[in-house]
Amino acid sequence: MRSSVSYILSTGPTEPNMSHPDYEQFSHDHAALLILLKHIGAQLKPKIFNKFYDRISKINEVKVTDSTGQVRNILVRFIKEHPVENNDWGDFQTHRRLLGLVSLGKYDSQVELNEVCRVHESLKVKYNATLYDSRCILFGPAGSIDDPEKEHFTTPSNFKTRALFYDELSVCADLEQQITEFISALFWVLESKRLERSREKLERVSLLYAPFEKKDFVGLDMESRQNKKRCTGRMTKHLGDLCLQAGLISECLQYYTNAADILKSVNDWLWLGGAFEGLSAASALVLYPNMQRNEHFQRIGSLPEGSPKKPSMDTLQNQTVVVKKNIPNVLSPDDIAKRYREAIIHYSKYQNAGIIETEASFKAARISVEQNHALQAASFLQNVVYINLSLSEQEKIQRFETLSDLYTQIGFNRKAAFCLRLAATRYVSQQNPSPNWNRCYALMLQSLSGHKLILDPVEMIEADQGWPILQVQILQDLIVAAKRAGYSALATRHMTFLLQTMWHNLSDTEQKELSIQLQGLSVQCEGSPVPLVFTLRDLKPHLRPKVIEKEKEDTGPFLFTPIHFGTGSLDRRRDKTNPKMEFVWVENEVCEVTLKLVNPLPFELKVSNMRLLTSGVVFESIPETVVLAPDVPTSLTLSGWARESGELEITGYSTHALGVKSNCRLKYMSNSFPSQYKVDVAPNLPVLQASTSLPQSASFSNIHDDNIVTSASVSLYHGETVCCTITLTNTSQIPIEMLDVLISSGLEPMVQDQIFQFDQEDVKIILPLLPAQSATFTVKIYGAANFLAPNSAASPTIPNEYNSGFFSSMSTSLPGTSLSRVNSSFRSSNSGHSSLAGGLTTLFQQQPGSSTVEAQLKLRYSGGGGLQAQYCRISTVFFMVELLPSLHVTNWDVLPAETSTQFYLVLDIVNLTSQEMELEYAPSKRMLVEAQESCRVPVPIDRCPLSKLSNFYDEGDRSLRTLMDVNKICSEHISDQAKLKWLLNTTDAKGVASLKGITLSSRMLDIVRMSPLDWDVRINGDTVTAQDDISCEAGDSLELQMSIGNSLGISIKDLTLSIQFYQDYNNGTLNYRMDTRLALSGTAKKVLPSLDPRDVAKHKCNVVFFTPGLYKMDIQCHSPDGSVHTTGQLIPMGHIWKFTPPISIQVK
Amino acid sequence: MAVCAAIVGKDNSPKFFCCVNPDEELNFQYKVLSSLDIIEEKLSPGIKPNTEMYLGILYSLENWKIYGYVTNTKIKFIIVVDSSNLTLRDNEIRSMFRKIHAEYADMVSNPFYIPGEPITSKTFTCSIKNIITGTV
Repeated sequence: MRSSVSYILSTGPTEPNMSHPDYEQFSHDHAALLILLKHIGAQLKPKIFNKFYDRISKINEVKVTDSTGQVRNILVRFIKEHPVENNDWGDFQTHRRLLGLVSLGKYDSQVELNEVCRVHESLKVKYNATLYDSRCILFGPAGSIDDPEKEHFTTPSNFKTRALFYDELSVCADLEQQITEFISALFWVLESKRLERSREKLERVSLLYAPFEKKDFVGLDMESRQNKKRCTGRMTKHLGDLCLQAGLISECLQYYTNAADILKSVNDWLWLGGAFEGLSAASALVLYPNMQRNEHFQRIGSLPEGSPKKPSMDTLQNQTVVVKKNIPNVLSPDDIAKRYREAIIHYSKYQNAGIIETEASFKAARISVEQNHALQAASFLQNVVYINLSLSEQEKIQRFETLSDLYTQIGFNRKAAFCLRLAATRYVSQQNPSPNWNRCYALMLQSLSGHKLILDPVEMIEADQGWPILQVQILQDLIVAAKRAGYSALATRHMTFLLQTMWHNLSDTEQKELSIQLQGLSVQCEGSPVPLVFTLRDLKPHLRPKVIEKEKEDTGPFLFTPIHFGTGSLDRRRDKTNPKMEFVWVENEVCEVTLKLVNPLPFELKVSNMRLLTSGVVFESIPETVVLAPDVPTSLTLSGWARESGELEITGYSTHALGVKSNCRLKYMSNSFPSQYKVDVAPNLPVLQASTSLPQSASFSNIHDDNIVTSASVSLYHGETVCCTITLTNTSQIPIEMLDVLISSGLEPMVQDQIFQFDQEDVKIILPLLPAQSATFTVKIYGAANFLAPNSAASPTIPNEYNSGFFSSMSTSLPGTSLSRVNSSFRSSNSGHSSLAGGLTTLFQQQPGSSTVEAQLKLRYSGGGGLQAQYCRISTVFFMVELLPSLHVTNWDVLPAETSTQFYLVLDIVNLTSQEMELEYAPSKRMLVEAQESCRVPVPIDRCPLSKLSNFYDEGDRSLRTLMDVNKICSEHISDQAKLKWLLNTTDAKGVASLKGITLSSRMLDIVRMSPLDWDVRINGDTVTAQDDISCEAGDSLELQMSIGNSLGISIKDLTLSIQFYQDYNNGTLNYRMDTRLALSGTAKKVLPSLDPRDVAKHKCNVVFFTPGLYKMDIQCHSPDGSVHTTGQLIPMGHIWKFTPPISIQVK
Repeated sequence: MAVCAAIVGKDNSPKFFCCVNPDEELNFQYKVLSSLDIIEEKLSPGIKPNTEMYLGILYSLENWKIYGYVTNTKIKFIIVVDSSNLTLRDNEIRSMFRKIHAEYADMVSNPFYIPGEPITSKTFTCSIKNIITGTV
C-alpha cells in the first residue's frame, strides 16, 4: 500500500512533528467538534470526574437549527487530554483543533475556588489559538449551590468564563442542557468562521500549511499559477472540513470533490490525501451514521473466533441507499476504501505525515470493520506496522493494543494475540525507560486465547489444539513476566500449567529444566498458598488396577453380609460399569490403597504430603512422603480412615512435588482409569482376637485364606481325643453381639463332625463380649479312624462271600444300597468304593500310615452399627490335625459264648505304635501289647436283641431291605458294645478304638443277633442252659421237651424242626453216625406248616444213649426258601436257626 | 526458493513444519500462525465461493511473502518466500504447492499414518525440503 517513493517529498526529521497520535480516531471524528473535558484541582475525586465525563460524553450529537431554518446535526467528541501540538495540524484537518474546553473542579473554600479558576484560565491560555469558548463546572461544598452569595464564594474578577455551579451529589438536572447550549455556542462560532472563510475570494486566499511544510514554501513564488491553484485547492479542502464539522454534508462533499480535482492537478499529494480522506469520512458518515466508538466494549479474549462480524450489512445499506441517492458526490462503500487507500499512499510519501497516515489507516480499518470487510481491514492494519514513527514506547504499545483490538474485531485472533504480545514485550523492552512487568504480564495473559491457550488445564488437555511450539514459548514468556512482575504464585501456577499441558511437546531437556525451574519458583512463592486445583501430570501415576485392602494383623479384612454369605451375591451386586470394589471398608479402621508411580523426570523427585482425594463419606488420609527414583515404577501405599459409613469415592490423590501442591484426579489421567473407585464403608465393627491352647502349626499347607488369624496343630493317635480351648478377646471398643462358629474342611460332614466337636451353647453363653473382655470355648478333636484292617477276610475259618472290598467301604452310610449293586461290586477293589465313600476312604486308605486333616474354624462375628447394617467379620482358626495309627483290628470272628445272651467277638489286634500299649478290651480285662505286636482278644458282647431288629422283621413289603441292613444293625450293635480302650504307657496317650463298620457274614449274624425263635428246651423237665453239663447213664431215657415261640411279628411258614446228635472229636471231625450209639423215640424232625406270632410250637421225644461218651445235640429250625422275608436270595438254602450252644450230654 | 513450508490441519493445528534454517523456526511459526487468520477469512463462506485451492499471497511482510493453499479437506499448505527474491513467479509458487499436495497425498496414503497426527516421516520431510529449495 505504501508509496514506493517514500519520503521523497519530506524534509528532515527535525521538522515539527505531531508526536501524539490518536489511535482511537474514527472517520466520523472529522465531523466532530473537539471539546476537552478537563479535571482540574485536587479536590475532585477521579471517580466523580469519570462519572461526569461519562454523563457529558453521552451528548455526542446535537441538533441545531441554523439561520436558514435548516437543522444541522452537530457531532461532538469529548476528550480528556489534548496535546497542544496537535492543534498545529488544525489547518490541515480542522477536526484536530480543540474548539471547546469544559473543566470540572471542586472547591471547599474561596481559596480553592480561586485556584480552580486560575487553572481554568491558564488552560484557556494554553489552547488560546483554537479555543472558541469554555465552561467551568464547579462543585461547591454541600449546600453552597442554593445560595452561593451567602457563603461568599465568588469567582475572581479576572475569571471570564461562565461558571456552572453544581452540587456533586445532586442530580445536576440542567447539566445536559448547559452543555448542549455550550455546544450550540461553539457551533455558532464555527458557523461564523465558516461563512467568513467561504466569503473569501478563492483567488486571493493565503496558503494553508501543514506544520512541517512551512519551510518548503519559503522563498517560493506564491503567485505562480501552480501555487495559486495549490492555495485554492487547499482552501477548498479546508472549507470542506469546516462544512463537515458544521453539519453540511452535501456542501462538504462538493468541496472535497472539487479540492481533490484541483490538488491532483498540482500534485499536492499530502493535501490530496487529506481531501480524499475527507471525502471518504463524509461518505462514511452518510453511509454508516451508526458507526460508534462504543463498540469498544468488545474485549479481547471474550470472543470466539470469527464472531465479531457484524450480523448483517443489508439493512444498514438499504437505509443508506436512499440517503446516498439524495446526496451527490457520496462515495460507494468500495470507493471509500479505495479513496482511503489512495489517501494513505499519498500520506506515506511524507515522513512527517506518519501520524496522519497511521491515524488514517486506523480510521480506514474501522470503516472496513463496519463494512464487514475483514481482509481489507487487515491490509489497512498491516500498513500501520510499516509506518516508521519515532514514537515513545508508550505510544508504540498503544498502537499495538489498538491493532490487536481491531484485529479482534475482524476475527483475526491470532494476529491480535501476536500484536498483544508485541505490546507486552514493548512494556519491558530495553528502550523502555520504565519497564512495566505488570502490564506486560496482563497483556501476555490476554494474548493466550489467540494462541488457543485456555488456562483451565482440563479443558486445555481436552481441546488439544493450537501450535505447541509457540504455546510453550508463550507460556515461558508468561512465566518470566509473572516472575518479574512479582507474582511468584502465578508464575508457579503457569509453570505447573505448562508442565501439565505441554508435557508431551517438551523435549527431555526442557522437561528437566522446567521442572527444576518450577522447584525454584515454588520456593519463592512459599507462604502464599494458592489453591491449585488441577492435576500435575508430570508424575504420570499408574494407579494399580486394583485397590487392595490391607490384611489387618488380627482380623480378616473381608466383610460379608450374613444374608448374602456364600451365595455369591456380592459378585452379582457389582455392576460392570461401576468401578465399585468388591470389598468393604470399615469405619474408623485403616484402609489402604496401593499406587504405582513413575517419575518421568531424570532426577530424583521428592513427593511429600501425598494423600488420597475422596468424596462421599468423611475420610482422613495419612500423608505420605516418597522419593521417586527416575523412570523406576515405585509402589506406594496410601492409608487412611473412613470416619463415616456409606459409599466412599476415591477420586485421586494430592501431592506436594517440586514445591507445588496438586490434586491429581483419576478422571484426568491419561491412563484408562475409571473416574473414581467406589468403596462401601461399613459401620464400625468389633475386632476379635482369637488364640488357641494348641501350638501353632509351622505352615499352612494348601488352604489359602486371608482370614486365617491363628493356627493350631496337634498330633493324635487314632481314637485319641484332645480338647482345644479357643480364647476370644474383643480388642475393639465395640461389644461383639453376634458370634457364629463353623467348622469347614474338605472332609465329609459326618467325618468332620466326628473329628471336631464343640457345643454351640458354649458359644452362645459368651455373648455379648464386651470390649477388652475374653471368653473361651472348647473344641474337642477326636482322632477318628477306621480300626478295621481293610483287606483281610472277615474270618479265616469261614469262606466268606463278602470280600475285602466291602470292608473298605464299611462306611455306615453306603450310598445306593441296591442288591445288584452290592453284588456286582463285591469283588471289586477298594477304589471302586472309595469314590462312594468319599473323603473318609481317601483318608483311611493311607492307613496304617499317618495322615493329616486340615480344617478351619470360622468365627463370624459382628456388633455395633455393623451388625445393624448386617455386616460381620470372619476370622478363621486353622487346624492341622495329624492322625497317627494306634491299633488295628486285622481279623475278627464271632464265637458263641457260654450263655445264649452273649457271644464272643474275637479280634486280632495289632499295636501300630512304637510303644507298649495297654488294651482294655472289656471291663476289667486288660492286656499289654508290645509295639508292633499283635494279639487276639475275645470280647464278650451281648447279642443283638431282636428289638433292634424288629423294625426290620416287621417290614411288610419285600423291599430292598437285605441282609446288608441286618448286617448294618448288627455291626452298629457291636461297635456300640465293644470299646477298645487303649493306653500308651510311655506317653500317657489314651483313646478308644471303635469297631465301627465291622462286617459280618450270615453265619456270624446268627450268632450275633438273638434268634427270632424263642427256644425253650427241657431235658427231663429241667430247663437247659448253655452252661449246664448234662450227664446221664447209658441206657437212661432222656425226655427232650422243646417249645419254639415265634417272637416275630409275622408268621413263619413251613418251619422244619430237626434234632440231630453228633459227637465232636475235637479234632475237627464231627461224627453224625449215631445209629449204633443212641436211639430216638419220637420223631427227629417235625414240620410246622405255620408258626404264628406269639404262637408256641411244642415237640417232645425221648433219647436213649447206648454207649458212654460225649454227645452233642443240635436243635435247629429250618425254613425253606422264601418262607421268611429276611432271607431273600442271599441264602438260597433257606435259613437255619440253631439253638446255641449245642447241648452237650455226658453219658457215663 | 522458499524458506519455509508448513502443513496445517483442518483444526488449524500444525501437522508439519519445515524450515530451511532451523534456527528461525520459531519466527516463522509466528508468521505462519498469523497468516492462518487470512486463510480463515478467505475461506469463510460469506466472502465468495472459491473454487481454486491456491489462495495466492496471504501476507507481504518486509522480508517475507506468505502464500497459502487449501485442499478440499481443509488441509492448509503455507509457504514463506523471501520477498527479495523477485525472480520467483506466481506459477512457480503454484507448482510448488501442487508438488507439496502430491507428496502429502502420498504420505496420507501410508497405512501407518493416522490422519490428524503430526507428520514425522523423514522421507516426507526430505521431499518437502527438496521442493521448497527447488532441488527437485
